[in-house]
This record gives sequence, C-alpha cells and structure tokens, in this order.
Amino acid sequence: MYNSDNTGFRAIFRRSVLQLVRRPIYWVGILLLPLFCFIFLTSLMESGLPTQVPAAIVDKDGSKLSREISQTLASMQMVKVEASPESFSQARHLMQEGKIFGYFLIPDNYEADLLAGRKPNITFYTNMTYFVPASLLFKTFKTTALYSKAGVAMQILQSVGDTGDVAPLLQPINISSRPIGNPWLNYGVYLANSFVPCVLQLMIMLVTCFSLGQETKYGSSVQLMRMAHGSVVRAVSGKLLPQTIVWMVIAIFMEVWLFKYNHYPMHGSWGWMTLSQVMFVLAAQGMGLFIFCVLPNLRLSLSVSALIGILSFSIAAFSFPVESMYGSIAIFSWIVPTRYNFLIYIDQALNGIHIYYSRIWFAAYIVFMVLPFTMLWRLKRNLLRPVYSP
Amino acid sequence: MWRVYCDEFKLVMHDGGIILFFTFLPLVYPIVYSLIYNPEVVRDVSMVVVDSDATPLSREFVRRVNACPEAHVIGYAANLEEARRAMNEHKAYGILEIPEGFQRNVGRQEVAEGVLYTDMSLMLRYRAFLVAVTNVMQSMGGEITVQRINNVNGLVTTIATGDPMPIHNISMGNISGGFDSFIMPGVIVLILQQCIILATGMAGGARHERMSSIGYDPLIVSSSTSMTMLGQILCYITILILPIIFLLHFVPLIFRFPMEGNFIQIYAFLLPFILSSMGVGFLFQNVVREREAVFVLWVVTSIIFLFLSGLTWPLYAMPKFWSWVSDIIPATWALEGYTKMNANGSTLAQVSDCYINLWILSIIYLGLAYCIRRWQMHRAAREKAKEEKYSIAQ
Repeated sequence: MYNSDNTGFRAIFRRSVLQLVRRPIYWVGILLLPLFCFIFLTSLMESGLPTQVPAAIVDKDGSKLSREISQTLASMQMVKVEASPESFSQARHLMQEGKIFGYFLIPDNYEADLLAGRKPNITFYTNMTYFVPASLLFKTFKTTALYSKAGVAMQILQSVGDTGDVAPLLQPINISSRPIGNPWLNYGVYLANSFVPCVLQLMIMLVTCFSLGQETKYGSSVQLMRMAHGSVVRAVSGKLLPQTIVWMVIAIFMEVWLFKYNHYPMHGSWGWMTLSQVMFVLAAQGMGLFIFCVLPNLRLSLSVSALIGILSFSIAAFSFPVESMYGSIAIFSWIVPTRYNFLIYIDQALNGIHIYYSRIWFAAYIVFMVLPFTMLWRLKRNLLRPVYSP
Repeated sequence: MWRVYCDEFKLVMHDGGIILFFTFLPLVYPIVYSLIYNPEVVRDVSMVVVDSDATPLSREFVRRVNACPEAHVIGYAANLEEARRAMNEHKAYGILEIPEGFQRNVGRQEVAEGVLYTDMSLMLRYRAFLVAVTNVMQSMGGEITVQRINNVNGLVTTIATGDPMPIHNISMGNISGGFDSFIMPGVIVLILQQCIILATGMAGGARHERMSSIGYDPLIVSSSTSMTMLGQILCYITILILPIIFLLHFVPLIFRFPMEGNFIQIYAFLLPFILSSMGVGFLFQNVVREREAVFVLWVVTSIIFLFLSGLTWPLYAMPKFWSWVSDIIPATWALEGYTKMNANGSTLAQVSDCYINLWILSIIYLGLAYCIRRWQMHRAAREKAKEEKYSIAQ
C-alpha cells in the first residue's frame, strides 16, 4: 500500500487525534460532560430512597385515640411530621406552598363515633404532582391507617372476651413481596443504570456528527478524502477510530463506576457486561454516523442527534414501560441503542440470567453498527463536495 | 433601542437555526413527550401464577388480582422454575406464588402466606403489582375476617357489618396519579428555559462566526450596551409570545393536564424566569465560538437540570452540594412555582419565595452579562485605539 507521510489511514488517524487534543470542545464533550453526569447522577441519589417526607397531620378530634394515631405516624421512618395545622384549609395552604407533600385528616368526634359504631372516615391527601415523595407518603399513610384500624378491632374483640391470637383474624391473607435484584428499592440503582448510558449515547452521537460536520463546514473534507485515497471507509474509520478508543475507555470506566464503586447489583458476568458496553459504543457511533450520512449537514445532523438523544431518555422506557405506551409510539423504543444497553443490563447485571435470553439485544447492536454502511455512498458524495448552509 | 430591536428581529428571522429553536422546539417537543407518556398509568402488567394450592380460595384470589386494572395474569406455571423461565424470556414481570395449604390455613384460622416476586427493572411495574396484590389481599382478608367474627361472636356488630373505620385517599394536583401529568408541567418549563438559552447562545455563536470570518459584524448597531441588551430581550420576548401561549394553554388542553392556576399570575410569575434564562443565555454567548457548539455543550444539561429541579428526586433528599447548585438554576424555581400554581392552584403570594428568587437570579445573570459585555467593548475599543496609534506611528 502506498504510504507517504501525510496520506493513508495512519495519517488520518494522527490528524484526527490532533484535532481531538487541540480543540477544547472535544475535551468538554468527551471527557468533562459525561464524567460530570456519571458523578452527578450517582451522587444525587446517594440515599437510595428519599425517607422523611415532609407531611402534616390535622387532628380535629384531639382525643386519646387520635393522638395515638399521630404518634404512630410521627414514628414512621418515611414521614417527617412538619406541622399540625388546625384545619383542612390551613393544611391545604401548606401544601400549596410546598412545605408538605401530603396530610392526614382525623375528623371531629373521631373517637366517640368510632366507639359508637358510627364509622368515622379517615382521609389522607397526597400531592401527586410530586410522584416519588407522594407515592412513599401514600404507602405510609395507608399503613398507619390500617394499623390504627387493627388496634381498634383488637380493642373491640378484647372487650367482648375474645382473647385468642388476633393477628390471623385481622390479616387472614398475607402476601410478602420479594423485589428481585433490588430489595432495597434503591432509586439510584434503577435510575443511574439507565440514564448514565443514555447520556453517553447522546454525547457519542453529538460528537460523531460534530466532528464530521466540521469537515464539511470548513471544506477540509476534500483534503480528508485525498488523504484516504478516495476511500470513504478509510476516511471515516481513520477519523472516528481515535474517538472510538476514548469512548470505549469511558464506557468501561462507567461500568466500573456503577457496579464496582457504587456497588450497584451485579449478578451476572463482567465479561458480557463489558462486551455490551463496547458494542454499545460502536452502536451509538454507528447511529450517529448513520444520521450524518442521511443528513450530511452539520446543523441538521446535530439537531436530529440531539432530538433522538434527548427523546431516548423517555422513549427507551426507563421509567414508563413500553407495553403501556401507545403502540405507534412504542415501536420507536426499538430504534435507539441505549434501549438494548438497558435490556442487557436488566438481564445480565440485575437479574443475572443466562446470556441466551439476551441474544437478541446483542444482535440489535450489530444492526446499528452495520446501518451506516448502507448510506456511506451519500456521505462520500458530500465529503467530496462539501456544502455548508447555515 | 428600537433599531436594535428591529435588527435583532431581522437577524433571528433570517437564521433558520435560531428560528428552529424558538418555534420548532417549543412546538414539537412537548407534543412528542406528552404522546410518549400520555397513557398516564401503567395497566395490565403481565404476571405468572404458581398455584400449588389449587383450591377455590387460591383461584378466587388469582381471579381478583387479574381483575385489577394494574395486573394481568398471563397464565399458570407448574413450578417456580417454569415461572422463572417465563420471566427470563421477558413474557412476564412478576410471579405470584401461592403455596400449598393456602386455603387450609384460612380454615384453621392461621395466616395464609403467599409470595410475590417482582422484576425490579422499572419502579412503575413493581408499584402496579404491589397495588393490585395489596388491594386484593385487604379486600379478601376483610371478608374472611367478617365471616370469622360472625362465627365467633355475633354480638360484635360494628365489625361484623363491615368496615369499622373507612379509609379514604385523595390524590391532589395530579388527580389521576398519572405519569404524564406528573412530568409534563415540569418538562414544559424546562423546554422553555432550554429553548431560550440555546437560541440566545446560538445568536451569539452566529455573531462570533461573522466576526471571525469578515472581521466585523455588519449587523451590529452602535448603541449603548444596556440599550442593546434591552432591545434584544424585547425582541426575543416578542418572538416567544406565541410559543409560550402554546406551551401553557394548548399543550395542557390537548393532553388534559391539570390547569388550576390563574393565568395572569402565571404569566407574571414566568416573566423573571424568562429574563433570568436570557441572562444565562447571554453569559453562554461568551463561551460559544461557533453556533453548532451549543449542541455539544448544552443539550445534555437538560437532563442535569431536570434532576436538579427536584421533580423526580425531591430536593430535601438531595445532597447539600447539589441542592446549592440547583438553587442557581432558574428552572428549579420556575418549575417549583409553576407546578404549584398550575396543579395545586397556589396563588402568586403563596409561591412568593420562588418568585423573589427568580427576580434575584435574573438581576444577577443580566448584571453579569452586562458587565462582561461592557468589559469586552472596552477591550475592543482599546485594541482599536492601539491599532490606530500603531498605524499613525508607521
């Protein structure tokens, strides 16, 4: 192969490395931002579950029984009773000001009504505008109410002389739940493992499009093609390989960061997870390259990458399950690489099941890698005749 | 100032990229987002049942779980192995195991135990299972209790006639407890901030590019710094009026999000938010040398801001450092105030702390941007003077 100093694959590789090193935007885009996000997302949810949700209790009865309920509630781990307003509207105002996320209302004459069998209503209000704290509060309020109910029932039973074991009587059926893989219900495990790779995908796609787009914007792509002896494959691979290497290091660092340093559940083999990360980098680059092949314009390709990258956080179904979305929307979840990273993580790290069950997800990575090769002819044409339209 | 206003208007109108941010972003993003989450609640999550008891009671239990909107029983498995396989093949996300002796235990007046195994990949699925099984557990348990008490002692009328103490829960704000209504009002605020910052940043990048390619900016109007900034701000606000109306009125109407607030108050509330976002945008202009660089640098911050805002992860549970960081971001305060006003019907007075903080932020950001611009102008003027001196000396 003809190889002088400034043509061929190596020369392109060298040129590309220099570009990466010289422009601060690459340092920020490749190293600083992703690493910041890794640390940010994992440290934000350090506590795992947000305990001590601010709440209030409105005790309009003020009897012995109602005070007991207040005490039970205040002793709950999840709740921090911030205030005891006098009335419903005061509590509502507190909620509107955002000081509390919910409140528990004990009505007037609660004890008297209860003992007389007039069925007093216990009501609790949760502000579902804040999903996570409100859900936790809901659970605690409900438990408290049920405990108090059990206490009342026990008293009544004892008063009529039934002194047997009352527990099975009050709760004849008990279903215990076993959350597989994340028994602590740690929110960080569930969020960081999906969002961190998604950040990586976004940055990979953006940087891929940006670096290629720079060539067409400033017309240096002609020189690039000359260095590659007119082979678009050589040009693109030489251009992107340095990035690939850096991204892979970052992806493996991400894996170590999540599962080793933060001790997120890792029940499967490190080998398969590492393979998944490496293939994920290639798939995301393939996706970015494909977008640039289809839209060889810096502005447009970046816009589309940003659109897909940001929508990936929702469409890849990290929080809202695919099967609950509208069918026509749900199919888009299959066209983002990070979805497969997420699925492999669930199978391999969280649940630790056999690799056989994840085979399709790995195959999907390969599709993303092959995808740009179908459109490279278009890229070639544009690299040779760069047009920049602002 | 009027000339700056007109010139900036022309500049924006001729720049496809900026127009894209000012219009396309606020128009399309909320629609796409809302569509993704619009089913609101998670229903019919698949589960497999291992019924080793096979009695009328266990079957009734399963039937009732299946009848809950949250869960869907896809079938029975002979043993846990088989059920586990169904889970591995991604056909089901939970296993309900009813051990042998379920009905017998009830008959013996003991506790009938069962186990629910759930896949923990998504919190919402776990929540759906938990709600379904707990509800059935309580309602069936209640019936059994009533029966028993009637058998033991017919005198205990308060319990025997049913619930001695009914418990009610009322969800406020987001009444359906749906995911879309929870996340979208926040996302709308965030979209607004990001679109303002990106567009102003891009306008700055475009100016830099013209400066570096031609050497001077043909579109610049000589005017004082404060007047230029004021003109630009007014111009951007004019352009933003339509997108904001769309975001605040139409999107919630289309997707039936909560709309409780007083709109005049909401607009008054959002004004300092828009101003402070523009301040951040003006500051951002100094970093951006090239208009496309805004993508690489700014897009990912949306995710950071979303988390910092305390929408998904409550502020009180955040490490101190991050909650300080979140305090300097306009979207945090705007989101908090807007969701309260919009969903819970708070008045402007009730969110006054957010409102005051937004004004403080906008003063800080615009002030900083003003100082930096003044400094740049001075430097440019000094360099120009130096050059002239140099040329005269020659």
